[in-house]
Amino acid sequence: MTTSKPLSPADADAFGRELDALRAEVLADLGQADVDHIRRMIRLVRYTEVAGRVLLHFGIGPLTFALGVSALGASKILENMEVGHNVMHGQYDWSGDPALDSKSYEWDTACPAEDWRHSHNYEHHTFTNVLGRDRDVGYAFLRVNAAQPWRVHHLVQPISAAVLALLFQWGVGMHDLRINETLAGQQPVSELRRRARPFLRKAGWQLAKDYVAYPLLAVFNAPRVLAGNLIANGLRNLWTFGIIFCGHFPEGVQLYSAEQTSTESRGQWYVRQLNGSANIEGSHTLHVLSGHLSHQIEHHLFPDLPAARYPELAPKVRAICERYGQVYNTGSFAAQLGSVARQLVVNALPSGRNALRSVA
Amino acid sequence: MLALLARAPRRTRALSRFQGTGARLAASAWRRWFLDRHAEFWLGQLGSAWSPSELRARVVEVIDETADTRTFVLAPNRHWPGHRAGQYVAIAIEIDGVRVRRCYSISSGASAPGDRIAITVKRVVGGRVSTWLHEHLTPGHVIGLGRPQGDFVAPTSASPLLLVAGGSGITPVIAILRDLENRDAVHDVVVVHSAREDADAIFGRDLAVMALQHPGLRLVAHRTATVGRLDAATLESLVPDLATREVYVCGPSGLRGLVRSIAGDRVHSEAFTAPIVCAPQPDLAVRTVQLRDRRLTLAGTGTLLEQLERAGEQPAHGCRIGVCHTCRCTKQRGTVLDLTTGRISSEPDEEIRLCVSIAHSDLELAL
Repeated sequence: MTTSKPLSPADADAFGRELDALRAEVLADLGQADVDHIRRMIRLVRYTEVAGRVLLHFGIGPLTFALGVSALGASKILENMEVGHNVMHGQYDWSGDPALDSKSYEWDTACPAEDWRHSHNYEHHTFTNVLGRDRDVGYAFLRVNAAQPWRVHHLVQPISAAVLALLFQWGVGMHDLRINETLAGQQPVSELRRRARPFLRKAGWQLAKDYVAYPLLAVFNAPRVLAGNLIANGLRNLWTFGIIFCGHFPEGVQLYSAEQTSTESRGQWYVRQLNGSANIEGSHTLHVLSGHLSHQIEHHLFPDLPAARYPELAPKVRAICERYGQVYNTGSFAAQLGSVARQLVVNALPSGRNALRSVA
Repeated sequence: MLALLARAPRRTRALSRFQGTGARLAASAWRRWFLDRHAEFWLGQLGSAWSPSELRARVVEVIDETADTRTFVLAPNRHWPGHRAGQYVAIAIEIDGVRVRRCYSISSGASAPGDRIAITVKRVVGGRVSTWLHEHLTPGHVIGLGRPQGDFVAPTSASPLLLVAGGSGITPVIAILRDLENRDAVHDVVVVHSAREDADAIFGRDLAVMALQHPGLRLVAHRTATVGRLDAATLESLVPDLATREVYVCGPSGLRGLVRSIAGDRVHSEAFTAPIVCAPQPDLAVRTVQLRDRRLTLAGTGTLLEQLERAGEQPAHGCRIGVCHTCRCTKQRGTVLDLTTGRISSEPDEEIRLCVSIAHSDLELAL
């Protein structure tokens, strides 16, 4: 597999300046069309949710059940990915609309938005793929890259990854609790308890909503509604797991060490974001349902530009990468997912290769 | 018996904890999110001005006052607290996807919750908001509304009054007059209304009608196109008993200064300060920053975050490179440069990121 050409500090700066220029172009052009897009998405989320719930609550037979589950699942996927994730990044803060405000948005998943804004927007996006700093690398318990040290529990990681996929919202929700650190004796139980409080509140609310309140409203149809909500949540879990794992864990994605990045320039930060991310090629529908995380590279270069702008940025970013000899990691959903699966299997076993890529 | 005594308080504790949980749940952010936000959305879909938490108003009527001035009659929703005549209000509208706020005097008299109010807007050449209002704001539109503000309000005492208005400065003055009229308190009032000519004297006709109806109201229609600008001598000859009157003045700074030079401390004045656009002064090293409850002096170079930290503040922050938006805050006044976008932000109430912003003037931050 080809790797990116190491860039001198001057080249990295030039690379960064070209990306800054792209960013400035989009910023200068933000306006009504961007706000219209995200509001259209919010409408789609709300209307599909109502359609899904009505079909589940009042429908009879398997066809309306399947339709209801699909509509509700699609609604949750869109809400989490295209609306929630992107709004919380501050992609629409410039609009000044309180409904699109990154700091007060709360989403329909087990993870409290406040935890997410810290662990994702700050930790993951600042220290992307830096071992020991970015806790999203294998979610701190999977070995997705040979540069990570091998532990015995990695032997069963194909199975633990499958379980994580099914329960992904709970995995994401408990991510900021750092349970593994408490198990390893690095975090006191009291700190764990403090971190758990917002999660438990949010989780309780989510469980009460989907598995108590709505089924109760359905009276006789309660079991059907409960099952429908469970499957819709599960579908959303599988989809988000797939998209997110394809973003950082396919073969060829680079990991970095804290020392390598301690004196990083803005240009070198861009280089790391590029080499730490991978894209998925596909249709407009796939892009929207992935919250445009199918353009993970553009997202990591420009996390606070409206995500719907990534498709128009992608060819320009790719052209810049070619000129600087940087690998633009992209492939079909099947190819990238297969690559992630191979990484999970191969790295379940101990391997000798343990070198981190140098940034410079 | 002892055991029972010991257990009873525990049961009460459990009960109160249960009730506490219920109250917390009801007041929690998630209730606001799941119930209020859904309600906001569906009400928005219905085009309703009703909202569980936001103060909004529906435009019910648009009235042409002069060639370039219109009055917009608004029906605020149930969050409107009422206002005192002479106060102003911020309105929020969306222009090209961006919410902008501007303050306008309320030109109608005092209101109670549930009452209609009116704002009167002169179209300013090159003014983005006033132009938008004139071109797009029609009956049926729902706009955002702030709470009423300002202490340029109608007098409660019965002392003789002098109201001086220049140009669009007539808007809070007519509000005060209408309030006096409603309270049947137009006993001894002189209004000096300065405008360029009759055609652009806002509320010129309303004032004339009022003067006919109320013997206690004397109107001086001063037209600068024919008799020139108002000066001290003219004002004193127009209102010989000026010294005995309580004075209200609203208009350009020249007019306010003139009235204050004659009447001194007895003057209530209102300035229509357009958004203050401070010229960038990057060479000036020391700036003051007004936070919510304290004032700081920032010295040295660096971003606002660095300067605030040096001054002993601990603003919330994350990445320090403009990525995570944790340090975002509202800049209420002043000018900053965003290092990542190269953009100068000088309008009031714009959101800035402290970690990538450089102060170009003294600032007021919502911190």
